Amino acid sequence: MSVLILEGMFMLLLIIIAIAIIFGKDLLALTVIYSVFSFAAMILYILAGAADVAFTEAVIGVISTVYFIIAIKSISRRCK
Amino acid sequence: MSEFIYNLETFLSENGIYAMTFILLGLGIFGMVSCGNYMKKIMCMNIMQVSIIFFFLALGQKEHATLPVIVENVLGADAYINPLPHALMLTAIVVSLGTTGVALALLMKIKEIYGTIEEEEITGKGWKK
Amino acid sequence: MKNKKKIIGVVLIIVAVSGFFFKFPNIIPAVDDAKAPVHSYISGFYIENAISQTGAHNIVTAVLADYRGFDTLFETCVMLLAGITALMVLSSTAKVGKKQKVSKEIKNASFSGTIIDTAFRVIVPIIVIYAFYVFAHGESSLGGGFQAGALLAIAYMIDRIIPSFNNSLGTFTEQGAAMTAGVGVFIYIFTGILPMFNGGNFLEYGRLPFGAEKAAELHVIGITMIEIGVVVCVMATIINILEVVLERTEFDE
Repeated sequence: MSVLILEGMFMLLLIIIAIAIIFGKDLLALTVIYSVFSFAAMILYILAGAADVAFTEAVIGVISTVYFIIAIKSISRRCK
Repeated sequence: MSEFIYNLETFLSENGIYAMTFILLGLGIFGMVSCGNYMKKIMCMNIMQVSIIFFFLALGQKEHATLPVIVENVLGADAYINPLPHALMLTAIVVSLGTTGVALALLMKIKEIYGTIEEEEITGKGWKK
Repeated sequence: MKNKKKIIGVVLIIVAVSGFFFKFPNIIPAVDDAKAPVHSYISGFYIENAISQTGAHNIVTAVLADYRGFDTLFETCVMLLAGITALMVLSSTAKVGKKQKVSKEIKNASFSGTIIDTAFRVIVPIIVIYAFYVFAHGESSLGGGFQAGALLAIAYMIDRIIPSFNNSLGTFTEQGAAMTAGVGVFIYIFTGILPMFNGGNFLEYGRLPFGAEKAAELHVIGITMIEIGVVVCVMATIINILEVVLERTEFDE
C-alpha cells in the first residue's frame, strides 16, 4: 500500500485515542492509553521519513509515562 | 477499485493529512480548556505537541526520496528528504519533556495546599450544570 | 450536563475544520511536491556541502551541531532551568516529615519478587552499553546526544525504583543532579570560547587549537565535544525531576 494511505490510517487511530482521553474517568487507564498514543506517534514519524525524531520520541514516551504513573500514585485515581 | 484508491491518494496528498492534523490540534486545545481535572490538562497538552511536530515533518517529505544520511557520494539535492525540520523538532521534543516535568511538580504542590485537583472544588466556579 | 457540552464541542471541531479545508482546497502545497517553496532556499546548500565542510555523514547532526549550534546551546540552557524550577517549587518538607517516619521502616524491606530482582541485573548493563554506542555513532549513522542522555537516565531509573532502598548502587541527591546539569552547560560554553584564543569567533570550529591536516577533522572534534555536554545535561535534568517527584510519594504494601 502507499505511504500516504498508511499515514491516514495512523492519524485516524491518534484521533480516536484523543477522543478517548477527553471522555475518560479512570486516570490509571488513561496512562496506559497514553503510552499507546506515544507508540503510534513514533510509527507515524517513521512513515514520514524522520528516523532520528522517531528514536527520540520512543525514548521520551517511556520517560513521560513513568512520570505520570509516579504522580498518580500520590494523587487520587478517580476523576469526576 | 484502483480508481477509488487513486482518488483517495490524491485527496490525502492535497489536503487530507493537513485537515486531520488540525483536527488533532483542535481536540487537544479543547481538552485543555474543558476538562476539570488538572492531570488530564497535562495529557492534552502533550497531544497538542505531537500534532504540531507531525505538521512540520509532513512539510518536509518528497516523492521517491531517501533518508538524509550520505552513504557513498552525494546524489544531488532532490534525492534526500529535507533535514532542516528534523533538527528543529528534536529540540522541540526534549523541551516538551522539561515542560511536563515542571507541570507535574506544580501539580503536587497544588495537591499539598488544597487537598484536591478538581477545578470546581478549588475555584468554586466551573461549568454550570 | 458536562458530557453533553463535551460531545457538542468535539463534533463542532471536526465539522468546522473539515469544512474549512473543503472550501479552500489549495491553501497549502501538496505533501510530496519537490518544487514547493520550503525546499528551495537553504536546504539544498546544507545537503550538498555537509560532508565536505563538516565531515559528518548524518546531515541532521551536521545541521543541529554545526550549522545551527546556537539553537542547541539555548535548548540545553532551557533544560537546566527546568530542573532548577522543579527543585525550587517542591523545596519545603514541612508536611512530608510525619509521613516519612512511618514509611521508613517499610522502605527497608524488599517488596519485589525474585524474577524482577534477577532480571534487571542483566538489562541495566546492556542499556548502558547501548547508550555509549548511540553516542559514539552520532555522526556516521542515526543517533546523537539527546538519545544517549535519555537512555542513561532510563538505566538509572530502573536501578532506583526496583530494588530495595538499601542496595542500590548509588543515588543522586536533588542538588547534586542540578550541579551536574550545570557542568554539562559549562562544557558546551567552554567549547565555544576555545576558538576565541586562536583568532576566531564564538563557536567557530575551524580555529580550534588542536593540530590537524584537513579542516573537516577539526569540525568532527568540535561536534564530539559539544555532544558530551548535551549528554551530561539531559541525563542530569531527567534524574533531577525524578528525585524531586519521588520524595513526595510513599510506597505502602
